[in-house]
Amino acid sequence: MLKIRNLHAFYGSVLALSGVTCHVREGEVVALIGANGAGKSTLLNAICGLVRTQGEVKFQGKNVAGLAPEDIVALGISQVPEGRQLFAPMTVAENLELGAYLRFRRGHKKEIAQDLEHAYGLFPRLKERLSQKAGTLSGGEQQMLAIARALMARPRLLLLDEPSLGLAPIVVEDILSTLARLRDEGLTVLLVEQNARAALKIADRAYVLETGRIILSGAAQDLLQDRQVTRAYLGKDYKEFTEGR
Amino acid sequence: MRHPEFEAMPREELELLQLERLQSTLTRAYRQVKFYRGQFDRLGLPLDAIRDLKDLARLPFTTREDLSENYPYGLFAVPLRDIVRILSSPGTTEKPLVVGYASQDVKLWLELLARLYTASGVTRDDIVQLVLPPGLANWRRDLQAGAENLGASVIPAATLNFAKELMVMRDYKTSVLVTTPPLARHLLTVMARMELSPGELSVKQALLVAAPLTSEARQEIEAGFQVKIARAYGITEVMGPGLAFTCGADGGLHFSEDHFYPEIIDPESGAPLPPGAPGELVITTLSTVAFPLVRFRSGDLTSVMTEPCSCGRTLTRLSGIQGRVDAIFSVGGIKVHPDQVGLLLTEALQSHPPRYTWRVTTEEGLELLDIELAVEEAFFSDEIKALECLCRQARRHLQDHLGVNARITLKEWEIPCSSD
Repeated sequence: MLKIRNLHAFYGSVLALSGVTCHVREGEVVALIGANGAGKSTLLNAICGLVRTQGEVKFQGKNVAGLAPEDIVALGISQVPEGRQLFAPMTVAENLELGAYLRFRRGHKKEIAQDLEHAYGLFPRLKERLSQKAGTLSGGEQQMLAIARALMARPRLLLLDEPSLGLAPIVVEDILSTLARLRDEGLTVLLVEQNARAALKIADRAYVLETGRIILSGAAQDLLQDRQVTRAYLGKDYKEFTEGR
Repeated sequence: MRHPEFEAMPREELELLQLERLQSTLTRAYRQVKFYRGQFDRLGLPLDAIRDLKDLARLPFTTREDLSENYPYGLFAVPLRDIVRILSSPGTTEKPLVVGYASQDVKLWLELLARLYTASGVTRDDIVQLVLPPGLANWRRDLQAGAENLGASVIPAATLNFAKELMVMRDYKTSVLVTTPPLARHLLTVMARMELSPGELSVKQALLVAAPLTSEARQEIEAGFQVKIARAYGITEVMGPGLAFTCGADGGLHFSEDHFYPEIIDPESGAPLPPGAPGELVITTLSTVAFPLVRFRSGDLTSVMTEPCSCGRTLTRLSGIQGRVDAIFSVGGIKVHPDQVGLLLTEALQSHPPRYTWRVTTEEGLELLDIELAVEEAFFSDEIKALECLCRQARRHLQDHLGVNARITLKEWEIPCSSD
């Protein structure tokens, strides 16, 4: 579904990705894990056309590198950005409607109503807070709203940037189990997470990024067992790690 | 198929998968192994210069000598505490070649072995008997573990005499025989002696490994046991037998390209050769974690066939191993370098390097190393017994160190007349 070949990305003149090749198949949940600054979020932003890139990004056979972000969304890619980036003074309902903006303009009102119902089904808490301002929601609720808003664009591929950031473990679990449900419904997900353990638990496969390049890839189950990944990203064997190298 | 999603993957997807795995292997090799970092840096080649599978040809080869020079752990890409298996194989020098496996490498290795067996038509319902010499310890272990992983009933390699092996084969109703081509032929001669007919055996499949198979030997084994023949190719430096395997359609050996990238090169110039042209097989690992190998020169002569196979696998095929590019030769599947023979004879005789000639001969199907040794003053004795003892020592020394059968005959060396 998504094929990326030799992708380089720049922030100004700083090279943030130097030759990334990876792919996401339809119906998969793929996690990108790695330390801060490894280039995980940059990769998501590059897919969405938010940073300057070189290389190939193919989505369903079509090269999307260089397209404007709104055209990429129209093709079926939605991103849930890091830090949610909701419209704080607007209500929950208004935020959700904005998520369907492109479709609203095309007059797909009936579908939008169905999708709203679907979103409330996924996140019943949002339905209880429809007229509440987004800025007054709890962190977990904001994250739910951000995901629900992205889903309103009816994406084929959902990009999620650090959905667990700053959330209590129990809320993280809630959100991840919703992702698992979305996957079962056929959605394809590319997930960036610093919480590597949580990400690997729900992902099918994962890539490990290190300073702008993929250093390891494999089935998520296998990476959970990988001792280098364990030491570097899962917080296990910290003592062993510091003494050993 | 054990892994249809990879074994029959559309070529375009497979090549993207290879590229992404190659790039991450190179990143690991560069960042974690000093030797490879040196290789890249000497060329002034940044990691992202490898943008296509073809670009791999820009990188230098890794040779058995490189492995020896980095003895024992110099090429490991993970700390020793992550290594769960350390394997040695004889190299071209006195130092063995050392290969490490991390736990996920062992898992991959088991899967590749199961893939090989599945392609050979072996299932969990089979009774698999291994008849392999102790000198092929790595093959023994690999093929035993693979068949067990598949769930088959496994009769491990024993050091029984061949008549006993055949008795076990008949009485235990072995359905799959795993052996080398020379041993299979030898078993046929023993069967004839025992007046055992293939109809009394339940063997339906023979998996022949470790040594090349001539068409003559193939026909003989097929007819003698009345079996179908499957083959596997592998080298210890690159994860053993799971590298390539035959399928039911049996036109060449499918190479596990999703985990290893094959190239065929001109052994003289090092230039890549097109499909169909015979040359040296060069292998780059794509998935192994502990021991990445970049463009490893296998020394084996073969060619690749890119035509689609009727079995449905898209994995490219090797045409079969046609020989060696170096002096290494095989005695019953065990690889021997001629220098090792000289070295071991010198040790056994406790003399200066002796004069000798050698060749590999076949006796009742079994291959043995036939050595003619020139009698010299340094170890000459009037007593026949002493000379016999010397031969025995030398033979045992070769057996101990190489695991090969040897025969040593003494010969008077004709001292060439000086020409002036």
